[in-house]
Amino acid sequence: MKEIIRLIKKYQFSLFFILLEIICFSLVIRENSYQRAIFSQHATTFFGYVATLTSGVEEYFHLRATNKTLAEENTALKNKLAAYHVPGDTLPPPVHDSCTIYDYHQAKIINGTYNLTKNYLTLNLGKKDGIEKEMAVCSPEGVVGLIQDMSDHFSVVIPLINTQSIISAKIKNNNYYGPLQWDGDDYRYSYLNDIPYHVEVHAGDTIVTSNYSSIFPEGIPIGVVEEVSQANANFLKIKVRLAVDFRRLTYVYVIQNKTRSEQQQLEALNYHE
Amino acid sequence: MNNRNYYIHLLILCIIQILILNHVHIGSYFYINIYILALYVLPHKVKGIVSLLIGFLLGGLIDLSCNTLGIHAAASTFVAYLRPYLSRDMNEETEEYTQNNSKTLELGWFFQYTLLSTFLFHIILVFLEAFSFREIGTTLLRVIASTFISEIFIMLYYFICLKENKK
Repeated sequence: MKEIIRLIKKYQFSLFFILLEIICFSLVIRENSYQRAIFSQHATTFFGYVATLTSGVEEYFHLRATNKTLAEENTALKNKLAAYHVPGDTLPPPVHDSCTIYDYHQAKIINGTYNLTKNYLTLNLGKKDGIEKEMAVCSPEGVVGLIQDMSDHFSVVIPLINTQSIISAKIKNNNYYGPLQWDGDDYRYSYLNDIPYHVEVHAGDTIVTSNYSSIFPEGIPIGVVEEVSQANANFLKIKVRLAVDFRRLTYVYVIQNKTRSEQQQLEALNYHE
Repeated sequence: MNNRNYYIHLLILCIIQILILNHVHIGSYFYINIYILALYVLPHKVKGIVSLLIGFLLGGLIDLSCNTLGIHAAASTFVAYLRPYLSRDMNEETEEYTQNNSKTLELGWFFQYTLLSTFLFHIILVFLEAFSFREIGTTLLRVIASTFISEIFIMLYYFICLKENKK
C-alpha cells in the first residue's frame, strides 16, 4: 500500500495530466455534436464487430426456439398459400413491379439490452444492405421497433421497450388508435394511451399497428390487452401484453416502405398550419 | 515577473482573446490564439499540479466563450504539461535559470520556446476539432497556418508589453 502511494506521488504530475485530458476528451465528445457523431459512428462499428463474435456462439443456445417459430411461421404461410392454390394448377411467377410497397430484409439481432429504461438492439445489417433511418423492424410474432441509426454494416434499433419510442397503434376490432408508449418498468408490457373513455375495450382484444403510420404496414400485431384502467376523466390507460418476447428475439425483418419518401414529400408540400 | 504583474497580463490576454481574436476570421485556416502566452509566462514558482489546473481552467474559459467545450482545455492542459520539459531542454544551465527569472523573457530563447509550444498546442487543438485523420493534409496546413499567425501575435505582445516590463 505504501509503495502504491509513493508511486502515485512520484508520478502525480503525469497522472493528473492524464486525468485532466480524459475529462477534456469526454467533454469534447459529450458537448460537441460533430465530434460526438463521429465518435459514436466508430464506436458502433467497433462494438458491432465484437457483438458479432459473441452472438455467433450465443445463437446455438437458441436454435430450438428459433426453429420452432420458423416452423410455425412456415405453416401459417403455407396455409395462406393453400387458399390461393387451385388444384392441378401452378402459381404464376411472381411479378416484381413498383406495386409492391414493402420490401423485407432478413436480419439478426447481435446485441441488445432489456433491463434499462432506454433499451437498444443492434442488427447485423447496415447502410450497405440498404438499411435507412426509421425503417420498421418486426419479428414473426409482431412489432419490434424502428431503425434509429446505422453504420456501414450495423444498425441500431430503438425497440418498443424504450421509453423514447412512441408508435401509432390501434385496437383491431374497432379501429380506435392512439400512441403506444412503454413506461420503463416490465419489458413484457407497454401502454396504449389517448383512447377515449367511451370506447369499449376488453382484456384479450388485439392491438395492431395503425394505418396512420408510414413506417409500419397496417395490421402487424403488437400485443393483446391485459388490463384497462382510467388515466384521467377523458382517456383510458390500456395495459398491453407485447406479442414479442424481447428476451428470446434473434431473427427479425427490416421492412422498407418504398413509397414513404413520396408520401412525406407530398405531405410536406400540402400540410400547412 | 511578480504575481500582480502576472495577473494583469493574464487578464489582458483573456480579454484580447475573448473579445477580439475569437471574432476575427481570416479564412478557415487561421486560428489566432494568444491566450496560451499566459501559460508561457507563468511564474516559475508555480509548478506541478497547480500549473496543470491553471492550463485546464484557462482553456475551459476560452472554450466556454467560443462554445467548443473541452477542445481548448485539452490543448492548453497539454501545453501546461510540456512546460517543465521544454524549458528544461532549452535551458542548459538550469541552476542559474531558476535563480534568474528574467531569463524567461530573453528574446531568442523566448522565441524558440513559444514557437515549439504553440505548434504542439495547435496540433492538439486542430486535430481535436477535425476529429479524424481523413483529410490530414488540410488539417496539417491548418496547424501550420494557425501556429504562424498566433506566433506573430505572441511576439507582438512580447515586444509591446513584456519587453518593457523587463526594463
